[in-house]
Amino acid sequence: MATTQETKPDLVTLTIDGKSARVPKGTLVIEAARQVGVMVPHFCYHPKLTPDANCRMCLVEIEKMPRLQTSCSTPVAEGMVVKSAKSDQVEAARKSVLDFILANHPLDCPVCDQGGRCDLQDFSHEYTATKSQFQELKRVFQKEYFSPLIETQMNRCVQCLRCVRYCDQVMDVKALAPVGRGTLTEIKAFGTHELDCEFCGGCVQICPVGAITSRMSMYEFRPWMLKRADSICGYCGDGCQITYQTKNNSLIEVSSTHGSGRNNGDLCARGYFGYHVSEHPERIQTPLIRQGETFQPAIWEEALEQVGQTLLAIKQQHGPDAIAGLITGRCTNEDLYVFQKFMRGVVGTNQIDSSVRYGHLNGVRALQRVQGTHRWTVSFDDIVEADVLLLVGTNVTETNPITGLKIKEAVKRKGAKLITIEALQPAVGTISNIVNLAHHHFGVRADGFQGAVLALMKSVLETRGMAEDVKASATAYGNDLMAQLSGLAWSRLENRTGYSLSDYGHAASTFCQGKKVVILVGQDVLRASGGYGMTMNLLDLLLLTGKLSNPGCGVAPLAEENNDQGAFEMGAVSDVLPGGFSIDHAESRTAVSKHWGRSIPDSSGGALPQFLERMQSGAIKALLVVGENPLGSLPPVSGIEQALEGLQLLVCQELFMTETARKAHVVLPVCSSAEKEGTFTNTEGHVQAVRKAVEPVGDGRPDWEIFSALSIIMGDSMEYGDVKEIGKEIRNVLPGIRPLGPTPIPSKPDAMVVCGYVGGEYRRDLDSRYRLIDEQPDFSDELLVSLRQSLFHSGKFSLKADGLLKVESEGKLYVHPDEAARRNIGEGDQVDLCNDRGTIRAKVGLRERIPMGMAVFPEHFDQEMRGLLSYAVDPETQVPYYKLAQARIVKV
Amino acid sequence: MAQYEKILLKNMEQPGYSGSLKEYEQAGGYQALKKVLKDFSPDAVIDAVKKSGLRGRGGAGFPTGVKWGFIPKDHPGPKYLCCNADESEPGTFKDRQLMERDPHQMLEGMVITCFAIGAETAYIYIRGEFRLGAQILWRALDEAKAAGYVGENLLGSGKTINIYVHQGAGAYICGEETALLESLEGKRGMPRFKPPFPATHGLYQKPTVVNNVETMANIPHIINNGAEWFASIGSPPKSTGTRVFCLSGHVKRPGNYEVPMGIPFREFIYDLGGGMRSDKPLKGFIPGGASAPFLKPEHLDVKMDFESVALAGSMLGSGGVTVMEEGTSMVWAALRLMEFFYHESCGKCTPCREGSSWLVQTLQRIWQKKGRQGDIELLEELCGNIAGRTVCAFGEAEVGPVLSTIKHWRHEYEALIQEAQVALPPNKELPVFSH
Ligand SMILES: Cc1cc2nc3c(=O)[nH]c(=O)nc-3n(C[C@H](O)[C@H](O)[C@H](O)COP(=O)(O)O)c2cc1C
Ligand code: SF4
Ligand code: SF4
Ligand code: SF4
Ligand code: FES
Repeated sequence: MATTQETKPDLVTLTIDGKSARVPKGTLVIEAARQVGVMVPHFCYHPKLTPDANCRMCLVEIEKMPRLQTSCSTPVAEGMVVKSAKSDQVEAARKSVLDFILANHPLDCPVCDQGGRCDLQDFSHEYTATKSQFQELKRVFQKEYFSPLIETQMNRCVQCLRCVRYCDQVMDVKALAPVGRGTLTEIKAFGTHELDCEFCGGCVQICPVGAITSRMSMYEFRPWMLKRADSICGYCGDGCQITYQTKNNSLIEVSSTHGSGRNNGDLCARGYFGYHVSEHPERIQTPLIRQGETFQPAIWEEALEQVGQTLLAIKQQHGPDAIAGLITGRCTNEDLYVFQKFMRGVVGTNQIDSSVRYGHLNGVRALQRVQGTHRWTVSFDDIVEADVLLLVGTNVTETNPITGLKIKEAVKRKGAKLITIEALQPAVGTISNIVNLAHHHFGVRADGFQGAVLALMKSVLETRGMAEDVKASATAYGNDLMAQLSGLAWSRLENRTGYSLSDYGHAASTFCQGKKVVILVGQDVLRASGGYGMTMNLLDLLLLTGKLSNPGCGVAPLAEENNDQGAFEMGAVSDVLPGGFSIDHAESRTAVSKHWGRSIPDSSGGALPQFLERMQSGAIKALLVVGENPLGSLPPVSGIEQALEGLQLLVCQELFMTETARKAHVVLPVCSSAEKEGTFTNTEGHVQAVRKAVEPVGDGRPDWEIFSALSIIMGDSMEYGDVKEIGKEIRNVLPGIRPLGPTPIPSKPDAMVVCGYVGGEYRRDLDSRYRLIDEQPDFSDELLVSLRQSLFHSGKFSLKADGLLKVESEGKLYVHPDEAARRNIGEGDQVDLCNDRGTIRAKVGLRERIPMGMAVFPEHFDQEMRGLLSYAVDPETQVPYYKLAQARIVKV
Repeated sequence: MAQYEKILLKNMEQPGYSGSLKEYEQAGGYQALKKVLKDFSPDAVIDAVKKSGLRGRGGAGFPTGVKWGFIPKDHPGPKYLCCNADESEPGTFKDRQLMERDPHQMLEGMVITCFAIGAETAYIYIRGEFRLGAQILWRALDEAKAAGYVGENLLGSGKTINIYVHQGAGAYICGEETALLESLEGKRGMPRFKPPFPATHGLYQKPTVVNNVETMANIPHIINNGAEWFASIGSPPKSTGTRVFCLSGHVKRPGNYEVPMGIPFREFIYDLGGGMRSDKPLKGFIPGGASAPFLKPEHLDVKMDFESVALAGSMLGSGGVTVMEEGTSMVWAALRLMEFFYHESCGKCTPCREGSSWLVQTLQRIWQKKGRQGDIELLEELCGNIAGRTVCAFGEAEVGPVLSTIKHWRHEYEALIQEAQVALPPNKELPVFSH
C-alpha cells in the first residue's frame, strides 16, 4: 500500500533540544521552542511586537550557523537543529548577558513594584552566578517627574524598547522615545514635555522589569499578596478582559494578559486606570429615604417595604402603566433580565427602557430589519483579517479604543485598506488619530455624514454596478436603489461634502476590491438624527455589492456602554422581549410567558421619550431608575426636569448621588461591577463572565436582588438563590445566550429576512433614507458643537475615577487652531457660547484634528452645555437625539 | 621612491583643479555614463564591476558587483542606492577629500550604479560635520542636473535618476549601513538585525544598495578603462585597484595617499609618509581605522591588501593607518579608542551597551593606577562576551583595540596594575568613573 505521507508545504520540521517540532513556515525559533515546552529566556521579544533582537538574551545554538543566533528574530528552517538549554555555549552567553544587565541595574528589588513578577529577577535566579564581577560605579539617572499616572525608574531599565515599540506599533501613539546613547539611553516622553498620551498602561504592562510602573498603586503591595479575579471591564462596549488585583478587600490594580480576552491583553486608560470608581468615598452606603429636603439612612427592610408598598398602591389605583422603569446598559445581563421580568411580570407593564435607547438601538434595529439578527455578523477577528474597513462616524479611539486597536492592527500589520468618513482631520496629536491611517478619508462635519455615505454608495454603484445575484434575484430592489442614487446630483453631493467625484471614485474602487469588508458605524452616526437610516443604507451597500452574506463581511454598530448589547438582548426595551423579539410577536410573548408562568402585557408600552410625555401629563406616577441618570444626561428641552417633578415615587438604584438620585424619594445602594457576578455582552455579541473581586461597599446589593425582594413584597415572588440561577433561566428562555469560550461565533444573516427585505420591505422608508437632508442655512459665524465621548471618560460614571481625573478633569471646548485664530481666540481662553436656548461659558482647547466649523466638547462635563442642545426624537426608533448644538462663539 | 599612477586623486592633484563640472568634463568626466547609456545593459554593468574585482571601500570589503547582484530584478516597487558618506571612523578622512575635491567623480559613479541596479532615487548620507562637503555636493548636483546627468530624462535616455543629499546628526553608528537607513527614514539611528539584508529589505523595506564614497568613485574608471584593466591593478585576484589610504599619527607627512593595493606598510609609512616624526622607532600601528586591531613593527612587511592584513590578525577596514611611536602607552591608546567606542555605542544591544561602559571604566582604572589583579583576564572575558553577540559589527570593532594591545603589550598592563598594588592600600578602592 502506498502511503503518501503528505507534508504540507507550509509546515517545517525542526529539532529543539532534542524535541521535534512541526510549525508553520515563518515561525520564529523562540515560538517554535515554546510550543515544544522549551522556554527561551528573553526581554525584548514580545509576540505582539516586531522583533528587535536587542537584548541578546535569547541566543541559541543552531547547527551549521557560525555563531549564536537570536531565536526571537530567526525564522525556522526545515531540518534545523537548535540547542537552547542543552548548550554550554548558550548557557555562558545567557550568563554574560545577565552579568551585563545587572552591572548597571540598581538591585532595588525590595522596593520595586515588579519584584516577584520580574523577568530579570527570574532569569537571574535561573542563570547567573551569585557574584557579579562588576566592581565599578553604577550608572545613575536623575529622577525626573514623568506623568501623573505613570512613573519611570530608569535605573531599572534594560533598554529592551518594548515600551517604545508597543506605543508605536500597537497604540500608534508614539509617545515614548529612547533618549541618549549607550548606557546613558533612557526612555522618556517624546518631546520636551511630560508624558501626554493615551495612558493605556500598555507600556507599564509590557515592561519586563520595574522601570515603568503605575503611580496609582505605587509601593502599596507585593505581587504575591494580591488576590486575582478575572472579570470584564465595566466601561465601554468592547468588553475587555481585566484582572482585578486586590489586597484586603481593596482594589490595588487592574491588569490584563496577552492572549486572553477579546482585547488580547490590551487596555485603554479607562480600563487600566479607571478602577478606583468602585472605592470612591462618595459611594452610597445605605438605603436612603427622603424626609422633606433631606435623606435619612434606612435599613433595607424599611426602604424596600416603602418602595414595594407604594408601587402596589399606585398599581392598584392607576393601573400598571402608571409605573415605568429605566435601566442602564452598565448592569449585568442578569440584572437586566430580572429587571424587565419584574416590570413585565410583576408590575405588569412594558413601560421600560434602557440606555440602548440613546443610540445603539438604531444600529441593532437596522441589523435586525435587514438581516434578521441583532448581532454583528463579524467579530474583532474579522476586523483584523478584513481587507477593507469603512468607518463612519466612529471616533473609534475615544469611544471603542480596543476596536480601534483591531483596526490599527488590520491596517498597520496586515495591510488592510481603510476608508474613513469621520468628523476628524488627519493630524498628529497626543492621542492616536485613526484617520491618520486612512487610505481614503472624508472629513466632514458631524452633521454631514449622510452626504458622504450616499456619495460613496453612488460612486460604488455607478462605477461597479450591483452584484450579479442582486440583479438576478432582487431586480426591483436593485433598480429602486439605483434610481434613488441616480436621483442625487453629483454637484450637490460634492458641494455638500467638499469632496469630488474622483475622491469618491478612488474610495469606491478600493471598496469594491475588498473581499472581506467590515463597515463600522459609531456614536456620531447612531446618536444623531438620521442615524438609523444611514445604518440601513450601509447595509444596503453590502447587499448591493453582494457582500452582506459573505463570511468576514458585515455592518458593525459600535456599542458605547459595556452592556448596551445585553440590554437589548435581555429585553430591557419597551417593545423588545428577551432574545430581541418584538413585543408584538404573539408567539414569542407566549413562549416567554410560559417560561415565566406570568403573563406579559401586549401593549408596547412606549419608549423613553414617551415616558417623558406621560410623566409630564401625570399618567406615570412612579419611575424606577436603575443606574441611569436622565436628569444628568438629557437636555432641559426634553422636559426631563418637569417630568420628574410630578412623580409620586422616584426610586434610584445607584452607586452615587447623581442629579436624578438627589430628586428621588428612595435611593437604594447597589454593587459596582467589581463587587458582583454575572455576564456582560460586548459589542460583538460575545457574552462574558463578570466576577466579584471585592465585597460590596456598605450595604450595597446587586440590582437583581432588589427586584427580587420587591417582587416578594408585592406578593408575586420571583426568587433566585444566586446569579447562576438567573443565568440558568436565561439559558432556558434563550438557549444561545451564555459565555461561549474565548471567541465569539458571529451570527449569520437570516436568508428569509434578507429575502423579505429585498422583496419589498425596504420600500417602507426608502424615500426618506435616500433623501439628502436639507442643507443647513449657512451659519458661517456659528460653530456646530458636538458632545462626544472622551478617551478618558465614560458617561458621568468615570468622573469618580481618581486616575482618570488626573488626566482630564474639566471639559474644554475643542476647536481647530485656525478656527480659533480666525476668531482671535487662544488655548485656555474663556468664551461664551450662545444660541436661542441660552449662553454658557467654556474654556477653549486647540486640537488640529477637529474640522473647521466644528467644536467638540466632552459630554462627561456637559452639565451647562446641555442647555444649548437641540432635541429631536427618531420617528422610527424613538431614539432621542441631543448631542449637537449650533452656537455662536464670543470671546470674553 | 616608486611613483604610482593615481586614479581617484588624479584630477584633484592637477594644479588649479576645483572640481567643477566643466573641469571634470574636460578631464574626461561623464564619458563613462554616456558609454553606459549607449552600450550597456544593467547586467553588463554589474558584470563589469564583478569582473573588476572591486571590493567595498567602507570597511567590510564586500565585493561590490556581487552586492549589486543581490538586488531582486523583478521587484515591482522602488529600489534605492545610498551612498555612505558618513566617514566617522577615527583615522579615516579619504571620503571627505574625494567629495570635496572631485564631487562629480562619485556622482557619476552613483548614476551608473543606479542604472545598474534599477534605482531611480539615490541618497548621499553625509556626516553632519561635513558642511562644506554637503554644500559642494549640492552645487555639483545643480550642475549635473542642469547638464542632464542627473534628474529626469537623463541625457535623453528617458531614464530618471534623482540624487539627494541628507546630512547626518553626529552619530558614528549612522555609518553602519542599517543604522544609516533608519536615520535616513527619520528614525533614531540604530542598526537593524540582519538578515534580512538591505539588498532585499533596505530603505523603507525596499531593495537597497549601500556603498561607500570611494567605492562609487571607482565605478566610472572601471567603465572607461575596462574590468580587466582594473583587475590588473593592485594585488589580484582578491584585492584589485588602488586605495586611498589615510596616514595619521607620529609620522612626518600625514595625509591621503592613493596607491595600488598590496604595497607593504613599510613603504607606505616610511617612503610615502616620510617615516616617524621624531625618529623614535615605530611601536605599533592601526592598519585600517579605529576598529582594526593593532599591528607591531614585525608586521611592517605585510602587504596592504585585504587577505594579507587579515592573515596578520587585523583588517584593512576603512584604510585609515594610524602610527604610534615608541614611548606611547598602549594602555592609554586602547583607553582613548575605548572612550570613543563608549561614547558612540548606540545602546541598542546589551553586550555592546553595557560592555563598552564596563571596558572603559576598567581601562580608566588601570590607567589611573587603580587596577587590580585579574583585570586583564576580566578585560579579555568581557571582550569575549561582546564579540559575536551584538546586533552590528560595532561589537567586534570595539574589542579590537583592547584585545590586540593586551596581546602585543600585555606587560604594559601588568606594569600599571603592579604599580597600583603598591600604591593602593588593600581593600580601599576609589570610584573613578563619572560622566
Ligand atoms: C560601526 C560601523 C560604522 C561604519 N561606518 C562607516 C562609514 O562611516 N562609512 C562607510 O562607508 N562605511 C561604514 N561602515 C560600513 C558600512 O556598514 C557598509 O558596510 C558600507 O557602507 C558598505 O559600502 P561598501 O561595500 O562600498 O564598503 C560602518 C560599519 C560599522 C559596523
Ligand atoms: S500609556 Fe501612553 S506611553 Fe504608555 S503605551 Fe500607552 S499611550 Fe504609550
Ligand atoms: S522601560 Fe521597560 S520596556 Fe521600556 S525599554 Fe526599559 S525595560 Fe524595556
Ligand atoms: S553593537 Fe553597539 S552599536 Fe551595534 S547595535 Fe549593538 S549597541 Fe548599537
Ligand atoms: S529576546 Fe531575542 S534579542 Fe531580545
